[in-house]
Amino acid sequence: MRLGLSAKFTITVLVILLCTMAANTLYFLGTSTRLHEQQLLERGRALGRLVSLISPEAILGFDFLLLNDYTREVCSQPDVAYGAILTPQGVPISHHVDTSDPYIRKRARQGGSVEITELIKKREGVEDLIRLDFPITHNNVLLGHFLVGISRESMQSQLQRQVVIQAVVTSAIVLFLSAAIYGAFRFNVLFPIRRLISASREVGRGRFTAVEVKTADELGQLAQAFNAMAQEVKEEQAKLHRQANFDVLTGLPNRMMAFDRINLEIHRARRTGQRFAVLFIDLDNFKSVNDTLGHAFGDELLAAIGARLQESLREADTVARLGGDEFLILVPDVVGEVEVEKIAERLLQSVSEPRDLNGRKVVIHCSVGIAIYPDNGENVETLMANADNAMYQAKALQEGSAIFFTEEMNVRLRERMQMEQDLNVAIELGQLALHFQPIVDTAGPRHRGAEALIRWHRPEKGLVSPADFIPLAEATGQIVGIGDWVLEQACRCWRGWHDAGLNPGFLAINVSRIQFRKRFSRRLAELMTAYRIPAHALEFEITESVLLDDHHQVAEELASLRALGVKLALDDFGTGYSSLSYLKRFRFDVLKIDRSFVAGLPRNPDDVSLVKAILAMAKGLDLRVLAEGVEHHAQLDFLAAQGCDFAQGYLIARPMSEDAYRAFLKERQTKGDASNLTFIHHARTNTGRGTV
Amino acid sequence: MGIHQVSIRAARRAGILLLLCLTAAASPALRAEDGPLVLGIFPRYNATETTTRYTPIADYLQQRLHRKVTLLTSKDFQSFWRGIEERRYDIVQYNQYHYIRSAKTYQVIAHNKEFGKSTMAGALYVRKDSGITDLKQLRGRTVLFGGGEDAMISYIVPMYMMLQAGLKKDEIKSEFAVTPINSVIGVYNKLAEAAGSADNALGQPVIRNAIDTDQLTALAVSEQLLQLPWAVKRTTPTKLREAIQAALVNLEGTEAGRNILKTALLTGIGKAQDRDYDPHRKMVRAVTGGSD
Repeated sequence: MRLGLSAKFTITVLVILLCTMAANTLYFLGTSTRLHEQQLLERGRALGRLVSLISPEAILGFDFLLLNDYTREVCSQPDVAYGAILTPQGVPISHHVDTSDPYIRKRARQGGSVEITELIKKREGVEDLIRLDFPITHNNVLLGHFLVGISRESMQSQLQRQVVIQAVVTSAIVLFLSAAIYGAFRFNVLFPIRRLISASREVGRGRFTAVEVKTADELGQLAQAFNAMAQEVKEEQAKLHRQANFDVLTGLPNRMMAFDRINLEIHRARRTGQRFAVLFIDLDNFKSVNDTLGHAFGDELLAAIGARLQESLREADTVARLGGDEFLILVPDVVGEVEVEKIAERLLQSVSEPRDLNGRKVVIHCSVGIAIYPDNGENVETLMANADNAMYQAKALQEGSAIFFTEEMNVRLRERMQMEQDLNVAIELGQLALHFQPIVDTAGPRHRGAEALIRWHRPEKGLVSPADFIPLAEATGQIVGIGDWVLEQACRCWRGWHDAGLNPGFLAINVSRIQFRKRFSRRLAELMTAYRIPAHALEFEITESVLLDDHHQVAEELASLRALGVKLALDDFGTGYSSLSYLKRFRFDVLKIDRSFVAGLPRNPDDVSLVKAILAMAKGLDLRVLAEGVEHHAQLDFLAAQGCDFAQGYLIARPMSEDAYRAFLKERQTKGDASNLTFIHHARTNTGRGTV
Repeated sequence: MGIHQVSIRAARRAGILLLLCLTAAASPALRAEDGPLVLGIFPRYNATETTTRYTPIADYLQQRLHRKVTLLTSKDFQSFWRGIEERRYDIVQYNQYHYIRSAKTYQVIAHNKEFGKSTMAGALYVRKDSGITDLKQLRGRTVLFGGGEDAMISYIVPMYMMLQAGLKKDEIKSEFAVTPINSVIGVYNKLAEAAGSADNALGQPVIRNAIDTDQLTALAVSEQLLQLPWAVKRTTPTKLREAIQAALVNLEGTEAGRNILKTALLTGIGKAQDRDYDPHRKMVRAVTGGSD
């Protein structure tokens, strides 16, 4: 049973009061009993002394009537059960008994004559009697005894009455005090506490009501503290609500709020039968802005775009920031797709407008994916996913465009998901394989090494291009496992060839920026130790995108690689930022000219100029240059003439399997470089180039 | 009847009335200016009770005698007897022995009636369980008498009876209680073997309230003797003596008088003369050795 505070308090007070009052009553009764006993004794003694003082004359004069008067008078006194004057021999000569005494009355009712001495003796046997004996003397001669019996009966009955009265009074006092204390407790403590409890429950329900502070005592202070706490909770809750539902940076509703709004809109639309649109917006290349201009700038840009989006829409529309550079627009009451298309165009235009931020003129575009309720989904998740999917399609198709969701998109999405799942087990099932494309000197057909290229033999689908699955692996993080597999396979192959007495030269291995972040150098060191790979046997190709990441970490990792003694090559130079500062800051051994510049050689003057410039710059920076995608003799001749160090491409050799490359190496070792570098090598046909 | 005859009759009546008044004024016994009469009552009760019981009689006599009557109480028998000897009392009520001793100076005129009787007898009481059935058995025993040796009924008469039975005074151990009633209670309480008292002692309420009288029995009862005497000085004028006697005796005749008597615990007062106390004299002589 749960007892309330009031019940506990009342019981405690009752117990305390009862104990106190009971102790007080017992003490009072004890004292009263002693006092009464003392009074009885005093009275008996007074009577006895008086009678023994006045009796001698009557005894000497045989004045029994007078003695009778004495004993009668004594017996008429309260509480005296009997009075008797006896001769020294014990013969009673005068006596009187109180006929109202219960014992004597009982004896009287029993009838028969009873000697007074016997009666007295029997009466004295009853415990409630005080027996007093006073000698009666005259001139030191004993004349007799005066016996007086004082009954405690009336005292006891009086005490019993007192006990009853005391109990009644005590009970009344206890009840009154309890009621008074309970009343005071209820009014002064319980009510404020109940108000606090009620207010606490209200706070729990999210309704903040201040408790009235009536007193300055502890409860008043508690109420004040509660009010302060409630106010803080209220503010904190509002803050949490803002944080939970609004984006701190832009002040726009966040993903959660966007979900709620879409949910509400779904319910409303179900009732009204209307349609609404969900637009997914992703800024194109926003990462570059962050990376180049800093996160603070990026944040300012996001805030400005959020504001711009909001300005471009109606009040009924919702703009939310989903995170990063993703925005969502909820457009209710859509009549037709044309209306949505116009809105999307307006948004694209609004985002694309140049803006000045911190003295910089910034132009950024966005891609928009559109899903319509109920055509493209009847719940939040589907609508969001489809809009997102459409947005990715737009981004893939053409950045800065808006695309309505179609079912085909879902097909592609499912394919992508299937590929992701298949890729998860590709290593275990041995579907991945390394191919090697030889690298030679441009000056003479001398073999230098090979670039390791990954291939995926997907059952029922055939050979999958790295261009198709590497971006997916990077996006899903699977690239880390794949990259590690590539690295180990490359080390294993090199060791195998070397142990077979072949000279494999160096192996160029592509490293993803994702892979680079995972302490790549440590894993490399382990494998180099495990396979006893000399440092000159490995060259790692990294793209400029790797360098865009945290400079400090990148510098550290590059320094670690360099400490291991391996060579570093900057891949796809010229396609990205081609920042000279990177070349200055990070020391590379080799620059790889992208195949897109090689393809136009030697007829395209732009490519010629660009390749010449790269080569000149590399010379100035003491870098070796490798041109990839060399497919014609003219290209090779031009590159050789311009001082390009290495070449790679179909002209030299197509990528080949491990076994094929082993055979290639064996043949080269047997017959010399000229034997298999006739630029018509028998490598199998390949549809693309490796990028790993 | 004519006016003349009426006047003669009225004159005659006035003359008779005047004569009576002169006669009354000339009588020394009935004149208030002769000084107060002193009424003495022997200390049978204590002074307070005596005053309470006898003041109505004194007032009555004063009214009847047209003289102031003063009630004089005594604290004990000695002082009372001194008053007798000094003849301080004009009217006195005392016991038979007192009268016999003062008969030379006082003359009995009346006697008390108590419990409707003019006489009473002396008696000796013993406990029934004492085994005493004969006066001779009292030889060597303690006899508790009421009052003292001058108590007529509770000492002289019981002693007379014992003497008559052949006992001698020194053969019994005499003790005296303050009253005859107490002597009876003393025997009941076994403080003595016999008690000398009046023959009506056991019937008195005071005794019946105090003890179980069934435990007692009368061993011997004397002849009936006249009750307590009322006497006046022998020098009292005859008319006054007769007026006093008449006043006392007449009390019984009226309701008011009976109430006065009742207050004094009496049922009446009868006439008495000296020879009525001769039986008493005989007993006194036998007990006291011959002198009155």
